[in-house]
Amino acid sequence: MLDNLSTSLKDALKKLAGKTVIDRAAVDELVKDLQRALISSDVNVKLVMELSKAIRTRSLDEQLPKGTNVREHVLRIVYQELVRLVWASGEVKLEPQTILMAGLQGSGKTTTTAKLARYFQKKGMKVGVICADTFRPGAYDQISTLCARINVPCFGNPREKDAIRITREGLQSQKDLELIIVDTQGRHALEEDLIKEIIELNVLTKATHRWLVIDAALGQQASEQARRFHEAIDIDGVIITKMDGTAKGGGALSAVAETKSGIVFIGSGETMEDLERFNPDGFISRLLGMGDLKALVERAEEAIRADDVDVNAMMKGKFTLRDMYTQLEALNKMGPLKQIMGMLPMGNMQLPDGVYDVTSTKMVRYRIIMDSMTPNELDDPSLISSSRMQRIARGAGATPDEVRELLKYYKMMQRTLKGLRGGGGKFNMQRLMKRFSGMQ
Amino acid sequence: MFGGLKEKLQAARNRLGSSIQGVVTAQAPPVPASIQAEPVASAAAQNTSSPEAPTFVDKLKVLIIERELIVSEKDVAEALAELEMTLLESDVALPVCDAIIAHVKKSLVGKHRKIGESVDALVVGALKSALLDVLGKGFDLAEFVKSHERPVRILFTGVNGTGKTTTVAKIGVYLKNQGYTVVIGAGDTYRAGAIEQIGVHAERIGIKIIQHQEGADPSAVLFDTVQYAVSHKIDVVLADTAGRFHTKSNLMNQLEKIRRVMKPDLIVYVDEAVAGNDAVVRSAEFDRTVGADAVVLTKADMDSRGGAAISIAHTIGKPLMFLGTGQGYEDIIPFDPAQVVEDLLGSEP
Repeated sequence: MLDNLSTSLKDALKKLAGKTVIDRAAVDELVKDLQRALISSDVNVKLVMELSKAIRTRSLDEQLPKGTNVREHVLRIVYQELVRLVWASGEVKLEPQTILMAGLQGSGKTTTTAKLARYFQKKGMKVGVICADTFRPGAYDQISTLCARINVPCFGNPREKDAIRITREGLQSQKDLELIIVDTQGRHALEEDLIKEIIELNVLTKATHRWLVIDAALGQQASEQARRFHEAIDIDGVIITKMDGTAKGGGALSAVAETKSGIVFIGSGETMEDLERFNPDGFISRLLGMGDLKALVERAEEAIRADDVDVNAMMKGKFTLRDMYTQLEALNKMGPLKQIMGMLPMGNMQLPDGVYDVTSTKMVRYRIIMDSMTPNELDDPSLISSSRMQRIARGAGATPDEVRELLKYYKMMQRTLKGLRGGGGKFNMQRLMKRFSGMQ
Repeated sequence: MFGGLKEKLQAARNRLGSSIQGVVTAQAPPVPASIQAEPVASAAAQNTSSPEAPTFVDKLKVLIIERELIVSEKDVAEALAELEMTLLESDVALPVCDAIIAHVKKSLVGKHRKIGESVDALVVGALKSALLDVLGKGFDLAEFVKSHERPVRILFTGVNGTGKTTTVAKIGVYLKNQGYTVVIGAGDTYRAGAIEQIGVHAERIGIKIIQHQEGADPSAVLFDTVQYAVSHKIDVVLADTAGRFHTKSNLMNQLEKIRRVMKPDLIVYVDEAVAGNDAVVRSAEFDRTVGADAVVLTKADMDSRGGAAISIAHTIGKPLMFLGTGQGYEDIIPFDPAQVVEDLLGSEP
């Protein structure tokens, strides 16, 4: 079902693809689909409404930058708005500090504590862990086993019931260490005595950071819980766990919006190494159920500059082999074809897996063949007779058939581009890809 | 846990009600207008020929009260949009929400309604039947145990951190209180501290536990547990397992092996009430790969709105058995859909 959703978003984007004038109805439709995508990723409904309002206003008010189509314009705004939300701070310094872990039951605090210890240990810091979870049976066994695996000292006492006392003793016994992580018991905002306890722990440890651990699957509750935790101990970072499942982690987005903090880490597996620093691009792409937006925007900008591809000449129907060469080169700069396809919001365009490889190797072959053509031939492919074909093939180490195929492909591209003239817009990668795949 | 949802549904219901009421008043004017001229005549008629008057008034009554109104799609669109928001804010997954809205719409639109009939009843009826449809019948564990051959083998599955181990302990206490003998199999041999965790629980609640070492084959542990139950004539085997993501095929295969080896009578899928849209994806995947016969929703005390219950029930169509409502062993309540729907919408209009 999530696939359907992102497909609907892609379809909406597709409708905007060729447009060069902002169409209110199309933007509205896109915003609506965007809302559905975000809601189905568990972002707080109110937050989604605020976000989509901002995106809609900006999309309609802002000038369409030269050389972009509406789709790119709207995508950029969507991207910027989302990044602004998640990329508040999230700074992690390698200096002596105390980190207090907080979160709901079963969100993965203990596992994350061990992963964090491992992370900082690998950065060369002297790390210690205090187990302040005095409630859940086996909690101390769990964290001490994990710590033993990575040789990190772990302070705790399964028989002690007072988390405050354990932490006080732990801080004392680990005072020589540079970085202390305090793992706490799971609690939710309605358990007042436990909230009181974590406030006391915060005061006692004078924690440098108070990180809220959020399960990627957490739904609409995320906002409310984060708000209460924030009120209690001033959360300054969010860690998303269990990102190795299918959950999208929208709850974490709600949580950072609520705590005005950033996402610091992402947990995505059961081993000690499965902890990554947060990367907003990947996260946002996942939220929207689309490819890596930022990379696409950047790469596309970098690869297809105005001087690389003479759009106007092509639109007039003057499309030579030389132009095709620069195009293939531009595509090459953007990385493997499969990656590019993954980044493009192309909706339900289904290509069999094999196609990508064939196509990208073929692209390389085409360029080699073109390398052995004369400038005249590149400018005017109609010159290429069968004897010239023989020569080109020999020069490129190819067969005349391959040269013929290249010319066929060129003609197809030319036709495609001619067809585009009516539709407006510039170099249309999507259509090109479609033709390209049709070749196979 | 359904407190939040209740409040919102009540509000949505009022909206839907008033929007249909709006229809009534909007369509009503022609009726009074047409009789506007009549009163004079009827007054005159009453004066002159009183025997005929009642029939005439009756006719009017019939005309006004028995007049049927047809609810159109447009009438309820706005209110339904609001109901949709309500459900979404309560963590009902998007596709499930769409299905419920469609159901309510279908049962409201095109319906002939008499003016005299309460608008509220109509709306409540539609919502109620939609929710009851989704939530199914509930599941009586005690009855299940009673009607099956001993030992009754119950396997618990679910993703990481949903509260399987705690649920096993709670259900152990529940069954013990019902007078059954219980043994627990410590099938989570993977997570550090898991064996200790269930061990402590078992000791506290006075239930025998079968455990191997960390890293042992969970199928072996659970097989031994079943063997123990057979030879000691124990009524129920509760098999805990390690949390696993439905995306890890090796772990799902392991679960499949456990199922083959211990042949459970009942597979209980454990998920949390605070889960959002992913609840749909993972419950469907668990149901598809290893199967699920009943569902337990944990962490229902976290002020959650109950949407996960609706999402999961709708997706896999399996009954909800229990709600976990706290950290104590007694904090578990059998799930009664009729009661929940009644609570949500109230029996009074």
